[in-house]
Amino acid sequence: MSLKVDRDGMAFTFKGGMLPMTVMELNSADPERIREQLAGKLSQSPAFFQHTPVVLNVERLDEPHLALERICAVCRGHKLLPVAVRGGADPVKQSAWALGLGWFPPQEASRPRSLEGVPAPQAEAADPALDEAEGEPAPAAAGTGGRIYRGTVRSGQQVTAPEGDLVVVGAVNAGAEVLAAGSVHVYGALRGRALAGIHGNPEAGIFCRELRAELLSVAGNYKRLEDIDPRLLGTAVQVRLEDDQLGITALE
Amino acid sequence: MAKIIVVTSGKGGVGKTTSAAAIATGLALRGQKTAVIDFDVGLRNLDLIMGCERRVVYDLVNVIQGEAGLNQALIRDKRVDNLHILPASQTRDKDALTLEGVETVLNTLNKDFDYIVCDSPAGIERGAQLAMYFADEAIVVTNPEVSSVRDSDRILGLLASKTRRAERGEDPVREHLLITRYNPNRVDSGDMLNLEDIQEILAIDLVGLIPESEAVLRASNHGIPVTHDEASDAGQAYADTVARLLGEDVPLRFHEYQKKGLLSRMFGGGRR
Repeated sequence: MSLKVDRDGMAFTFKGGMLPMTVMELNSADPERIREQLAGKLSQSPAFFQHTPVVLNVERLDEPHLALERICAVCRGHKLLPVAVRGGADPVKQSAWALGLGWFPPQEASRPRSLEGVPAPQAEAADPALDEAEGEPAPAAAGTGGRIYRGTVRSGQQVTAPEGDLVVVGAVNAGAEVLAAGSVHVYGALRGRALAGIHGNPEAGIFCRELRAELLSVAGNYKRLEDIDPRLLGTAVQVRLEDDQLGITALE
Repeated sequence: MAKIIVVTSGKGGVGKTTSAAAIATGLALRGQKTAVIDFDVGLRNLDLIMGCERRVVYDLVNVIQGEAGLNQALIRDKRVDNLHILPASQTRDKDALTLEGVETVLNTLNKDFDYIVCDSPAGIERGAQLAMYFADEAIVVTNPEVSSVRDSDRILGLLASKTRRAERGEDPVREHLLITRYNPNRVDSGDMLNLEDIQEILAIDLVGLIPESEAVLRASNHGIPVTHDEASDAGQAYADTVARLLGEDVPLRFHEYQKKGLLSRMFGGGRR
């Protein structure tokens, strides 16, 4: 009884969480150059700029002082919400805090990720802004950063492949959740929730041996169990994004 | 070295305490020195099912807090020599239990007993996690209905992550499925989930199947574990379950729909 009372008496609880976050890696500290490039991106994929939270990564910039306030203003002007800064010298950290932003220590220098210049898969269909923002290679390049999970994913469990595909050799039970930056493959019954392309990759898909999913989502477009054609339930299917709609088709 | 078995389910009211009492009794009847511990602090029931409620002086919380010795709190069963009961406290709550305290109690029992059966409270919070933490084996009690199956699934996830064996990276807790309140007639008519569906979802070995039976309620209210009712279907099903826990190969019974024949209809067909 008192256990419950204690819980009710608490205003909040701290929980650890991993949220997908767009990192904006700055190669230039010039607010005008950033503005020009953002304007170009905005016209290409307006859907991406919906008060999207971003972390400004300034590791590549050598300047000890940055016009952080102006850069943030440019971002907000294009419906990007800077929430934190990563890297930079002490003055950068201080000015981030002064602006009400969080500050993260720089990543290990051992990750030379060339974000610009990643060829967008099928130039027309893909969203170049998203690809660059996440630095994800084309989904076909599975095996790099993917994850294989063997066994049953049980109710209340969450299995994530933050970069790449997730392969589950077993069932995903009701109340369980499987997530991947790339595609989700389930060699068993899919009864829980499956979210593919969690960083916005529209080329990701969901594949399963027996469809009973509570929720299917590709790049944020979802279908609930109620929305799924009952004739497809219990069959082997693939789920793909077609014209911003989830298409579910039999795999046979 | 005692084997520690937790009887758990997530969901309440599926038959954890009935099963813990029946299985502990069955193990003791088979000559195994057995202790059964009620972890449901604040909602003490095991003593009622075991029929020893009038002999409770000290309880698990008293022992953990050093107010009584373990031997003072252990109640010897009146019917079976090898069986001892450690009741829960009715006046305290689950915060009175500590991991160290539970460990000390189990370590002490470990020396003298063959089996320690832990009757878990419902839920997935502290009380349930303490009951399962030191377990070597787990009996997951499940009713043939969807909410019970989902809660059992959740508990299986915890058994794989929130136990000492999991945290130390030892061999995982051995998981057994025990289906209770199974009514083949209602399964046949589609009111209940069938055995195969439950097994397919939970994907663990079946250790027993207890049919829905009037004998269970009768046993609970009389404070005599149903294993003693050897003529009843439920009593026999628990005896089979215990035999399987001891490693014997016993065929499954009571899972098939029985059409009542003319003779059994005329002569009543025995006790159920």
